[in-house]
Amino acid sequence: MRKREGLIWGASVIVRIACISNRLFLLAVAIGLAATWILAGFFGRLLAEPNPEVNLPAAMTGIRLLMLIGIAMAVATDRLLVPLAKIIATARAGDPFILANAQRLQAIGWALLALQLLDIPCALLARFWPSLGSAAPSGDVSVGGWIATLMVFVLSRVFAVGSVMRDELAGTV
Amino acid sequence: MPIIVHLDEVLARRRMSLTELSEAVDITLANLSILKTGKAKAVRFSTLEAICDVLECQPGEILSYRPDDRPGS
Repeated sequence: MRKREGLIWGASVIVRIACISNRLFLLAVAIGLAATWILAGFFGRLLAEPNPEVNLPAAMTGIRLLMLIGIAMAVATDRLLVPLAKIIATARAGDPFILANAQRLQAIGWALLALQLLDIPCALLARFWPSLGSAAPSGDVSVGGWIATLMVFVLSRVFAVGSVMRDELAGTV
Repeated sequence: MPIIVHLDEVLARRRMSLTELSEAVDITLANLSILKTGKAKAVRFSTLEAICDVLECQPGEILSYRPDDRPGS
């Protein structure tokens, strides 16, 4: 029992750290994106330094698109971590089988789906934006990610039915 | 709720308190109180059996059905 409590406490700490790190990442990428306009010359020199023959406007657009995808990913990750933290809090309180957690799991499912779909623009950038060079994302499709997304939606339904059944049992003598 | 619980009447006939019944049937006083006041949503057959056994009565003496007069119910 104590081991399980330790696991939940550990998960709570990890999710909190991940949440803060993700928000810091979001802030950094948003600042970086704004800087590509404000400090366009600096970024241009940075891109031209390793490869002087680079198509600078295309590379700059590619970097901006990459940052936009990064922002979208950070927002989706936030939408995943916040409900996860709340689910963990209910587990710590000893009452996780509630309808609210089913809705939170569904929100996590949508966030995971968004993250999976964001692989598509990443793959397109990797395939059709050669000017990005080594900065290009890996355009891989994660089969495990899609299975996890499906699993979370199914779990959400299981939680919804389970919490209704528990509510029914609550008034049973 | 159109199901009426007559546990207090049967207990009075047997001159037994709810606490004594709770000890005899091994069901918490809180749960028996929920049943007695008609706040229970469902009753297990095992609970009904234990109460009938101790109070030497039929389920029909503990529970009765009275149709609700409210419109739409």
